[in-house]
Amino acid sequence: MIPLAHYLILSGLLFSIGLAGIIIRKNILVVFMCLELMLTAANISLVAFSRAQGTAGLPVYDVQILSLFVTGIAAAEVAIGLALIVALFRARKTVESTALNTLKD
Amino acid sequence: MFESAFCQIVFYIFALLAAGCALGVVISRNPVTSAMNMALCFGFVAAIFFGLGAQFLGIVQLIVYAGAILVLFLFVTMMLDIKAEEKPASRNCWLPSAPALGAVLIGTVFFGLVSNLSLALPGAQDSGCPAKALCSSIGELALSPTAAPAAEAPAAARFGGALPKLDPAAAARALKPGISPEEAAAATSYPDVKLLAQCLYTRYNIAFVILGFALLAGTVGATALARRIRKN
Repeated sequence: MIPLAHYLILSGLLFSIGLAGIIIRKNILVVFMCLELMLTAANISLVAFSRAQGTAGLPVYDVQILSLFVTGIAAAEVAIGLALIVALFRARKTVESTALNTLKD
Repeated sequence: MFESAFCQIVFYIFALLAAGCALGVVISRNPVTSAMNMALCFGFVAAIFFGLGAQFLGIVQLIVYAGAILVLFLFVTMMLDIKAEEKPASRNCWLPSAPALGAVLIGTVFFGLVSNLSLALPGAQDSGCPAKALCSSIGELALSPTAAPAAEAPAAARFGGALPKLDPAAAARALKPGISPEEAAAATSYPDVKLLAQCLYTRYNIAFVILGFALLAGTVGATALARRIRKN
C-alpha cells in the first residue's frame, strides 16, 4: 500500500516546483499558475492527512471541507488576480514583473 | 493483492505525470503551453484524489481548476499580447542563472524531504517525526538499542504504514444512526458525497455561506477592476 509519506513527498515536490516558478519566472500569468500549483499541493497534503488520521473507517471530513474552502478561495483569488493583470496590461502594455519598477526608480 | 499493487502503480504513474506537468508549467516559454500543462497537472492531481477516496474533491478539482480557472487563464492570455513573450530577445527569467537557481531549490527540497523521511537524520530523533516512523518500518529501529517499539508503533502506522481502509458499514452507520448491524454490513458502496455534505451543511454551514459571499465579492471586484475606465 502507499504510505502517507509518499503523498507528502509528492505534495512537497509540487509545492517546491510552484515556488521555484514564482521565484524565477517573469511573466505574471505564469507566476499565477505556479501559485495555483502551490495551493493544489497543499490540498494533496490535506486530503492525505484526512485519510491517514481517520478513525473507524471514516476519513476526517473537516479536513476535506478545509480543502474545499481552499479551492473556493483560490477561484475567487484567480478571478481578482486576472482582472488585476488585465488592468495592469491596459496601463503598462506589459505583463512582465521586471517592468513594474515604479516604486524603485 | 493484485488490486493493491495496481493502485500503487497507478498512484506512482500519476504522481510522476503530475510532477512532470508541473515542471512543464515552469519551463515552457509560451503561456498557453503553461496553461495546458497546468490543466493536465490538475487532472492528475484529481486522479490522486480519487485514489485517496475523496471523490467529491476530485470532481471539484476537475471542474473548478481544470474547467473554470483554465478557461479564465486562456481568455486572459488571449486578450494580452503573447507575441512579446515569444521574441527571442526577451528572456523568460529575470536572471540568467534563474533556471539553475530553480533546479537547486527543487532538488534541495526534494532531497530534504526524501532524506528526512527515509533516513534517520539527527533532527529526526523525535518520535513524532515521519523519519522515525519510516525507519521503524524498514526495520532499522529494531537494531538500535534505545528504540522503544511500543511507543513507535502508532507513528509508524501513521507515516510509513498503509492508510486506514474506508468502511462502507461505518459510513452507513454515520448516515443513519439507528440502522441495524445487518443492514450496515450489507452496504457495499462508500457514499463520500453524502458524508461530506452532512459535515458541510451542519457544522460548517455559516463558513460555507461566508465562502459564497467571498466568491460574490470576488466576482464584483473582478468586474470593477477589468471594466474599461472612461476618462471623463
